[in-house]
Amino acid sequence: MKQEESQILNQIGKESGFKVPDNYFEDFGKRMENMLPEVEITNVNAKPSTWLRIRPYVYLAAMFAGIWCMMKVFNNFNGTASNQLRVNEIAAGIQVENNAEDFLMMGGASDYDVFSYEDSVAMSMDEPLPDVNQP
Amino acid sequence: MATREKYDEQQVVEQLHDPTTCRAAFGKVIEHYSSPLYWQIRRMVIDHDDANDVLQNTFLKAWTSIDNFRGDARLSTWLYKIAINESITFINKKKVMAQVSLDDDDSFLVNSLESDQWFDGDQAQTQLQRAIASLPQKQRLVFNMRYYDEMKYEDMSEILGTSVGALKASYHHAIKKIETFFSEHD
Repeated sequence: MKQEESQILNQIGKESGFKVPDNYFEDFGKRMENMLPEVEITNVNAKPSTWLRIRPYVYLAAMFAGIWCMMKVFNNFNGTASNQLRVNEIAAGIQVENNAEDFLMMGGASDYDVFSYEDSVAMSMDEPLPDVNQP
Repeated sequence: MATREKYDEQQVVEQLHDPTTCRAAFGKVIEHYSSPLYWQIRRMVIDHDDANDVLQNTFLKAWTSIDNFRGDARLSTWLYKIAINESITFINKKKVMAQVSLDDDDSFLVNSLESDQWFDGDQAQTQLQRAIASLPQKQRLVFNMRYYDEMKYEDMSEILGTSVGALKASYHHAIKKIETFFSEHD
């Protein structure tokens, strides 16, 4: 360190000229200890309780259980919705089929249409027309 | 005559975190660190009474925030940091009271040095204190820690949060400025 210091500093030396009253540091220690207020200290050296030790693992397990439950609920909801949709689609399909059947079997062809068809056949065969008003 | 118990830092730090032993342990800390911290503070604030007040504030602050000290850094580093912060805060307050700009150096602190009953330095020592006080605050700190306390640059680096290279440069500049001060005031 000597090399980095100047000639002036070497001449003056390390004595600063500052003084303190006699027994200052002894008295200071006693005064200071009496001045210290009460503070709350957390005992970090104390052995943690069983609950404190397992607490992080319990929280972790609870978190995963929560996620699992959420996924379960979400899947159930999605399953119910898609099943319901499927049921609706099937029901709608049956309805369409039923409508077509109804159209074909019942509503689709009127008596007039049937007679017109039979008349056209009869006419083509030169047969006399039946009296439609007779029972 | 009571013999002083050997100071074991690791043991003291453990005791500081135990509510049953913390007060007694802090007593050991005060006993061990009051002198080095006092001199660090005194060289900054110059006046003995001011240094006494700042040292008290330093220990009070350390005591009230002892729960935050987890032992990641050394206790000495933590205490020096508090002491330096308290010193700078005190000097800045004193500058405001003395109506000195915060940007000015700390030379005003040395004005009453010769009349101080707790200073018995000769003319050269007084002049050196004037020269040191004319340095920028951080250079003053670096110079005092290195020149008077012969502190290692690595330790200073931890306390001041500055690289070792920057501290060496700062010390070198401080010496040059002190030499210039002496040549100008001869």
